Amino acid sequence: MPVSDVAEVLPMPSEIMNEITQVLQAIQRGDGQASGELLPLVYDELRRLAALRMSQESASQTLQATALVHEAWLRMVGDGDRTWQNRAHFFGAAAEAMRRILVENARRKSRLKRGGGQARLDIDELDLAATTPDDKVLLMDEALEQLQAQDAEKARIVVLKFFGGLTNQEVAENLGVTERTVERQWAYAKAWLFQQIRTQL
Amino acid sequence: MKPQEETIFDAARNLASPAARQAFLAQACADDPDLRARIEGLLAAEVAAERFFSEVAPLVLTASAAREGTSTTGAPVAIEERVVTEVPGTRIGRYKLLQRIGEGGGGVVYMAEQEEPVRRRVALKIIKLGMDTKSVIARFEAERQALAMMDHPNIAKVLDAGATDTGRPYFVMELVRGVKITEYCDKNHLDTHQRLDLFIQICLAIQHAHQKGIIHRDIKPSNILVTLHDGVPVPKVIDFGIAKATEVRLTDKTLFTAYEQIIGTPAYMSPEQAEMSGLDIDTRSDIYSLGVLLYELLTGRTPFDPKKLLQHGLDEMRRTLREQEPQRPSTMVTTLQGMELATTAEHRHAEPPKLVSLLRGDLDWIVMKALEKDRRRRYETANGLAMDINRYLNNEPVIARPPSRAYRFQKLVRRNKVVFAAGAAVTAALVIGLGTSTRLFFMERAARQRAVAAEQQQVRLREEAEHAEAREAELRRLAESREKITQATVLLSQDRFDEADALIGGVSLTQPTVEGAAVIRSLGEWHAIQNRWKPAADRFNLLLQIDQLDGWDVSTLDYLECGPVLIEDGDLAGYERFRQTAIAHIADTAYPFTDRIIKISLLLPANEQVMKSLEPLAQVAEKSFATNITANGDVFLAAWRSVSLALMEYRRGDYTKASAWCRRCLNYPEYNAPRAATARVILAMSCQHLGQTDEAHSELAQARSMIEDRFRNGLDRGTGVQGFWFDWVFARILLREANALIDGSPSVLQRQ
Repeated sequence: MPVSDVAEVLPMPSEIMNEITQVLQAIQRGDGQASGELLPLVYDELRRLAALRMSQESASQTLQATALVHEAWLRMVGDGDRTWQNRAHFFGAAAEAMRRILVENARRKSRLKRGGGQARLDIDELDLAATTPDDKVLLMDEALEQLQAQDAEKARIVVLKFFGGLTNQEVAENLGVTERTVERQWAYAKAWLFQQIRTQL
Repeated sequence: MKPQEETIFDAARNLASPAARQAFLAQACADDPDLRARIEGLLAAEVAAERFFSEVAPLVLTASAAREGTSTTGAPVAIEERVVTEVPGTRIGRYKLLQRIGEGGGGVVYMAEQEEPVRRRVALKIIKLGMDTKSVIARFEAERQALAMMDHPNIAKVLDAGATDTGRPYFVMELVRGVKITEYCDKNHLDTHQRLDLFIQICLAIQHAHQKGIIHRDIKPSNILVTLHDGVPVPKVIDFGIAKATEVRLTDKTLFTAYEQIIGTPAYMSPEQAEMSGLDIDTRSDIYSLGVLLYELLTGRTPFDPKKLLQHGLDEMRRTLREQEPQRPSTMVTTLQGMELATTAEHRHAEPPKLVSLLRGDLDWIVMKALEKDRRRRYETANGLAMDINRYLNNEPVIARPPSRAYRFQKLVRRNKVVFAAGAAVTAALVIGLGTSTRLFFMERAARQRAVAAEQQQVRLREEAEHAEAREAELRRLAESREKITQATVLLSQDRFDEADALIGGVSLTQPTVEGAAVIRSLGEWHAIQNRWKPAADRFNLLLQIDQLDGWDVSTLDYLECGPVLIEDGDLAGYERFRQTAIAHIADTAYPFTDRIIKISLLLPANEQVMKSLEPLAQVAEKSFATNITANGDVFLAAWRSVSLALMEYRRGDYTKASAWCRRCLNYPEYNAPRAATARVILAMSCQHLGQTDEAHSELAQARSMIEDRFRNGLDRGTGVQGFWFDWVFARILLREANALIDGSPSVLQRQ
């Protein structure tokens, strides 16, 4: 990776920064509604960022979801805010937003590839070894929906770890549980999801 | 899904041998074949699931044109060295070398491709010089488990180690595409603030490793690479575990012939590392090296010139590192001459005078505290260093500076410039107001109001500062506890129990910690094996508290250890509390080892209430015998369950059933000495009550000789198969009860 091409940073409209700061503060005050406002804000920013990065010729052509989320945090909240509660809320929303973006992106591409107007991936044609990363995202997402219905807490852990790229410790802080619980639940969820995915194939 | 399913899955996946897993599942899912099938399915899926997730884990958004196989580094692939036999395309173990990406420290680094069990690119470092490959790999293996426990975004994982066909050791690491941190900072003209931000991330990564008991030992710029994740620089610490494995004893000869080639520069070495006094390296050595790194990031130089260090021999180098106080960073910058000063400042995006004033004060102190010769005066943890830099960045008082009121006040002013400016204006207005008498009465009143407001504001700020100080003390205390545990872990790995025990003495744990639990457990066992029951009991009580903090670990043996220790310590009231807590703790949970709680709660006769609360547990344990035990491979655990049920019946007063369970236990094939001894003791007592005195005496004699034999030569920790020390102590306590009942005489092993 050439060192010189530190990608330039989009100017961040100060209203958005203010808005997100206000939303985070509202959440801290215990305003339940504010949590709902965070997701769309973060979602828009992540999409914008992803689109920008992908259009840049010089940048490598893959984007790490985790890196995007961290970049969004720096851009939207910045170094100034080091309270972990705010980080927790932000990364919680960002992980969910990332999931939606990835799924949407994968769906779009799978439609393109298959030419038709199928809204969903036709999983009958898939063999696990031959699946593309995009297919895997879709498979994951479907399995995750089922997990969500059965055990919302585990599904949450998967979203944070898998789509948000959080470490066990960060997830533990985010959910207010111990690291050991996160480790245990994540191990279980992985095995469970994988079984689910395999039966889909 | 039920919580119980997850609990059993977790316990099962932590059992290493397939046989133990099978046995455990047979018991835990005795009356629920569906549950067992589900859990076995999950266990079978685990490996494949792990692979699936690790393949998808660095989730990517791919641009429309997917490129495959093109290199992004652009590094020259030419191999100019004849001595290097490995060339791209060579296969080493499971890895295929793709291209050479660097050279330094002790070896040559290649980008390589791994094919099994997952296909991925890795960095493979081949150690250059003729080292004792076997001991290098042995040292690596010793630390491997701890290394595997590290999970941090700023640490490159060490994956594997082995020997090449030419007999040289190699290490496999997560591939990091990046440049040396110093180079990155200079090329991109990072200012001091940005450099500190990167440095804080490095400290936190090192802290993570320290908490897992890993010391890096070779922190220097070339081991910290910065990669860009879409424009955001991310530092990654590489080479964990390698310095320890490839440790070379430093002698005058190695120093002058090969030192620089083997190790690199001594400029980052702590005084105690240079002393080479043997084992005495701990996490604070890394703190020193972090201090050198910070020094270099801020000033462009290391505290001591590496060339001069090597110039006058080993003793002179040691003396310098041990005695000579390095220049403060701000002083160092002022001594730089002309061009060098200009370049240094420009690289830091600052004017030379501004750079000096930026460094003078807090940053000087922080660096110098990390570089203290006496490691007790350094920051105690990497976290502490990071916290102090954060304080500097937030204009809060730093720990490195001895606190004086004037200093703290100065910080308050800087943090709240506007308020203090207003205050000053008010004071001025007041002076003028008084001087010019009533003419300015209205002005004065307004000013006074503002003065009151400003004073209230100042009071609030002062309170805030005091509060922050208190919180700081709490954080420091936590950090110290963590650090002590880290050190104790290291000491224990070297069998230095007494030092570890002394260290852990004052630690209070208010946060769950896996390492902490492991340390306390080892120390409790160490005391117990040497008959020091009071300290052993203290350790185990603390351990149970930690277990509570960290949630419920089903596979724990801690209860089995604590019970006998409390009785041997003579703390009968403590034992009573302990058994009631243990029973209450597992009531209404899906605890799969109910028989252990029965057993441990009945080591001494129990009152009616305890007996009653054990009833449901006994039923669960009994139910497991409904299935075909031999077919399930469950013999070992079934025999232990029989002992528990025998004790239960004995305490209930049903001596016929009790002796039946004992005989059942003794008939199982998989022999375990303390278990058999315990069964014989209970059988002897039951026979005595049933009037079969001959049998009672013969069983008692057999049990007594087994138990006394075992204790005669002193206990060791034991194993699950042969029996642990606490199994034997358990048997001995029951033996005393039997001696009193049958012979009316105390055993020779009566507690002193």
